Amino acid sequence: MPRENYQESLADLRADVRAMGADVLDQFDLALEALDRRDAALARRVFEGDEAINDRYLALEQECIDLLALQQPVAGDLRFVAASFKILTDLERVGDLATNFGEYALAAEHADPTDVDVARIGTLCRDQLTAALDAYADGDAAACRTVARRDDEVDALCQRASEAVVRELIAGEAGNDAWAAERLLDDVSRLLLTVRDLERVGDHAVNVAARTLYMVEEDPELIY
Amino acid sequence: MSEQETTQSLISTDVTAGAATERTVDADPVVRSLGLNVYYGEEPALNDVDMEIPRRQVTAIIGPSGCGKSTFLRCINRMNDLVEAATIEGELRFEGADIYGDEVDPVALRRKIGMVFQHPNPFPKSIYDNVAYGLRVQGDTKNLDERVERALKRAALWKEVEGQLDKSALDLSGGQQQRLCIARAIAVDPEVILMDEPASALDPIATSKIEDLIEELAEDYTVVIVTHNMQQAARISDYTAVFLTGGELVEFDDTQTIFENPAHERVEDYITGKFG
Repeated sequence: MPRENYQESLADLRADVRAMGADVLDQFDLALEALDRRDAALARRVFEGDEAINDRYLALEQECIDLLALQQPVAGDLRFVAASFKILTDLERVGDLATNFGEYALAAEHADPTDVDVARIGTLCRDQLTAALDAYADGDAAACRTVARRDDEVDALCQRASEAVVRELIAGEAGNDAWAAERLLDDVSRLLLTVRDLERVGDHAVNVAARTLYMVEEDPELIY
Repeated sequence: MSEQETTQSLISTDVTAGAATERTVDADPVVRSLGLNVYYGEEPALNDVDMEIPRRQVTAIIGPSGCGKSTFLRCINRMNDLVEAATIEGELRFEGADIYGDEVDPVALRRKIGMVFQHPNPFPKSIYDNVAYGLRVQGDTKNLDERVERALKRAALWKEVEGQLDKSALDLSGGQQQRLCIARAIAVDPEVILMDEPASALDPIATSKIEDLIEELAEDYTVVIVTHNMQQAARISDYTAVFLTGGELVEFDDTQTIFENPAHERVEDYITGKFG
């Protein structure tokens, strides 16, 4: 096949983005576990792992820039490089959010004040991200649309969780106990942020699906 | 049957059938080909080409060597008349009139449809005489100085040659010579300018000047450019036609579509370098 080096570079980029996706999923898994078990050691592993994600992100971004500058891809190749370039950013952001979950795990000293099922939302978000990355690897347009549809479920869960947390705050039994009130506020804030960040992971999964759909079918319906 | 009779008979049958081309991109095309076939001897060079070249736009023709792109360009101003073995069938129209009609004077046609070649080919005369040449041949010498100046300005060469128009054209650089050839082509006020690899013999700076000029020229003229340089086609053209082996026009669309989402897999394979 002509332009062998170029074809190899495209194949390398695809493999590298998938590998970064796998690493980010591992980070997210670790963060969810840290959060669930309030495990400081796991949280620290998430922080350490994020440096590797950031390094890989910068290297792959450069890979995309080199391909654009030196090989001037067009048509399907161009859409692939452009989509990958954007997807890398989403993956790097999920890595950052994983470190936030690590922070929340460190800050959580006791049981959450409500029965909000953070683990369930986390699992759903993880499934979404996995599905989006699989769609990218397989060039599967239908799977991209499924990810976009299921995001409503994530949003609804997050909305209900946030409302439950706020209700808990309003009905708080801290009374005049200033220390208890302060602790409740901390817990509630942390929980609200956790839910918000999980929702963002879901949004990044949709972004990955949207760029993949553009890559496969030049269809921008999920982007705008 | 003579070549022209063949063309005429095809026109009277094919055209009345009203076969609308699916490659229509403009309601007001300057040049229109329908079922155009060209043979060099027995060898087919163009295969049933339907194409409408939109007015005052840059249309690029790309494709691998031997795909017929230069042949198509040369049909438009009857440069192929000079190739004895060439046979042309089908319809080719300029402003609605049959380019290969009996009444058409090829020399007059070429004044309306000028051509710029790969290698600059100025006459061994002064800069002024090169630009004035076509006008003098037409016997149209009114306001000659003014029109020479205007053509040189339009070809973005005036600033570099002002005050030295009596200098030999052969003393100019390659890029300047090519812009002089463009000035010579536009001095006779054509409607269409055909360019066959106009920058392939030039360095990058001279190339970028020609590319800028081509985009400017499209404000007043219809430009059709054959190029091997796909990035050049992507940079400067509004529409792109992709010819592939066998003289077949496989896809003709706006340039953005061709380079971002071509409809045909063969076109995608060609422009991404998977073959050719």
